[in-house]
Amino acid sequence: MDKSEIKSRVEKVTALVLKVDPKDISPTANFAFDLGADSMQSIELIAAYEEEFNISMDEQKAREVQTVEGAVEFIAGYVK
Amino acid sequence: MAYTQLSDSQIVQLASQGCTASDWSGVSVAAGCDLTRIVRSKFFGTVRIGDTSGSHVVDGVELPSGIYDAALANCDVGDHVRISRIGSVVSNYLIDLDVLIEDVAALVADNDATYGNGVELETINEGGGRGVKIINDLTSQTAYLQGMMRHSKAFNEKLQMLIDAKVNDSRQEQGGVAQGARILHCGTIRNVNIGLKAYVHGVQLLENGTIMSCAEHPTEVGEGVQARSFIIAEGARVESGAMLDKVFVGQAVKMGKQFSAENSLFFANCEAYHGEAVSLFAGPYTVTHHKSTLLIAGLFSFYNAGSGTNQSNHMYKLGPVHQGVLERGCKTGSFSYLLFEAHIGAFSVVIGKHYANLDLSNLPFSYISEEEGNSKIVPGMNLVSVGTVRDAEKWPKRDGRKAPDRRDLIVFDVFSPYTVEKMRRGRDELVSLSERVPREKISVNYGGAQLSRLLLKKGAKFYSLAITKYLLGVLMEKVKAALQAHPEWNEAIAALKPSAGLHDPLAWTDISGLITPQERLAELEVRLAGGAIVSYEQLLSECKSLYDGYRADEWQYIAEVFAREYGVSVENLTKEKLLAAAEEWESASLSLHGMILDDSKKEFGAFARIGYGLDQTEEGLQHDFEAVRGTIETNAVVQKLVSEAAAIKERKEQFKSIIAAA
Repeated sequence: MDKSEIKSRVEKVTALVLKVDPKDISPTANFAFDLGADSMQSIELIAAYEEEFNISMDEQKAREVQTVEGAVEFIAGYVK
Repeated sequence: MAYTQLSDSQIVQLASQGCTASDWSGVSVAAGCDLTRIVRSKFFGTVRIGDTSGSHVVDGVELPSGIYDAALANCDVGDHVRISRIGSVVSNYLIDLDVLIEDVAALVADNDATYGNGVELETINEGGGRGVKIINDLTSQTAYLQGMMRHSKAFNEKLQMLIDAKVNDSRQEQGGVAQGARILHCGTIRNVNIGLKAYVHGVQLLENGTIMSCAEHPTEVGEGVQARSFIIAEGARVESGAMLDKVFVGQAVKMGKQFSAENSLFFANCEAYHGEAVSLFAGPYTVTHHKSTLLIAGLFSFYNAGSGTNQSNHMYKLGPVHQGVLERGCKTGSFSYLLFEAHIGAFSVVIGKHYANLDLSNLPFSYISEEEGNSKIVPGMNLVSVGTVRDAEKWPKRDGRKAPDRRDLIVFDVFSPYTVEKMRRGRDELVSLSERVPREKISVNYGGAQLSRLLLKKGAKFYSLAITKYLLGVLMEKVKAALQAHPEWNEAIAALKPSAGLHDPLAWTDISGLITPQERLAELEVRLAGGAIVSYEQLLSECKSLYDGYRADEWQYIAEVFAREYGVSVENLTKEKLLAAAEEWESASLSLHGMILDDSKKEFGAFARIGYGLDQTEEGLQHDFEAVRGTIETNAVVQKLVSEAAAIKERKEQFKSIIAAA
């Protein structure tokens, strides 16, 4: 899966879980500061990425990811 | 003590010092009673006065023992006592050695008073039906048995007989002020027993109560307190305008700052300030510090209330009959509201207002929040909060009880068969739901709360990690101990066989601080209902047996669950299986630990810095934050967590070495 597809799917899932307009999601958007994710939504977001990409991520490292582009990079490490 | 009647010359002397008596023949004195220290006082009925030598320090000034400007009726006054400036009378009291009573409106006892004993408090349910009679040696366990075990009529009748016997024992002809007690600058005190070395100062009114106290942990009741029908236990401190009406205050409880309470119980180490309690069963370590907080009609323990927390429910139809249970370790956020009836799982955090009747007992360690008027739950999230770790560590350290007899029996373990079995149930329910709920569904309704479908597997994973960490952690310790006691492998493994003899090791309960198998409680119920427990003291002893048996019972639980989860009994463990268990324990422990560490580091992240370094440069903000909050590198909690990761790895390696050498 190429990164553009990962990016597109990450943005779709992020918009859905955080209930934000997809247009507000930029690569550098910070989940907490820019998109308003609280700690509970962060867990939901990780679960949503896992389901979307059918992967199981390292929970601790996943929670350290702060931006959309960071999430794309992190997920790319799991997706072949 | 030998007393002698006053001689004529002594009567003349006392009269010359402004003293009068209804009948001088009723006044007698002990050897060593210096009559010059009895001034401007009136005596009614039988009054015996001890040795008046010695002195007391009053408001920083040393004043002589004796009786000054006081009226005494039917009192025994011990040696070295100072009684001074009594507004009306000290009547019908036995005043022990070294007591100081200064500037008190009245101290009066009626015949046959029970001093708060036997007063029935309508706890847990304002509508009644869960009344708890208070007695001096009430414990959180015996109160729980009274309030929460209403299903068995025979049990309740027998229990009430034991309690009533204690109430009768408390009936006294005279009130008592025990040795070394000090009563200073107080309003009226009527039918109140005051214990050893108690310090009562500035109270407005005390009526029908007991202040238990001991040399090891004197009790203090202070300024502005009004209390009616109460018992205050050793080491408690009730002060600054607290208002109590039908209240039990347990050992080392702190209460004040105009806190008001009625029909409420507070057990060991509770703290209650500013707010209000009605029909509250506050088990050990229930804490409410803030204004506008109303705790009402509920069972709590190890609980922390945010400001404005409230469960009041005036939507009732058949009266105020609603009740709630927050299992141990819960927290409620500022201005959170819970509609009762509700049952919240252990160690959960409640944020926001909840208008559905929540029943979330099988999802402990959860975050329960509100979104657009609906309740949402994130199961197991509190397992990875650094706050839970901090709470677990602080409770045993903050046990302020210094009395030799710590009455409330407390099992402090956060992870216990009680909470772990709930997690097992929760995990299984979440897994089952995740298999059934279609992907199109965003959330499911669980116990009145919305549970995101995405969190079903995540919650199950959190619970699995915690179950594994607990189960295998205790197993490793047990194996290590067995190998130390029995160097021969087969003998050591055979010694792992549980000896507790439980028929159902999976069912547990929390008797307000005492975690025990349901079977043990049922046995106690049968024995009490059947008449085998014949005194309150025997009941206390039976409760202590439950407490003493906790570790053995816990081990049987672990052995049973291990067999169910891993398909092998502990007596059939092999070295290979134990080595694999050690690896699995390390993995689960490090996973949980990593998330907790991550959570702790957030306390130093960008959000945490908001409001620091006002109008300063980025560098100034950084320095301001670090000066106040420190850094990840200097914070003791974070650094302890950092070092624990190494300890987990070391413990596993050490265990593997022990197994390899066995």
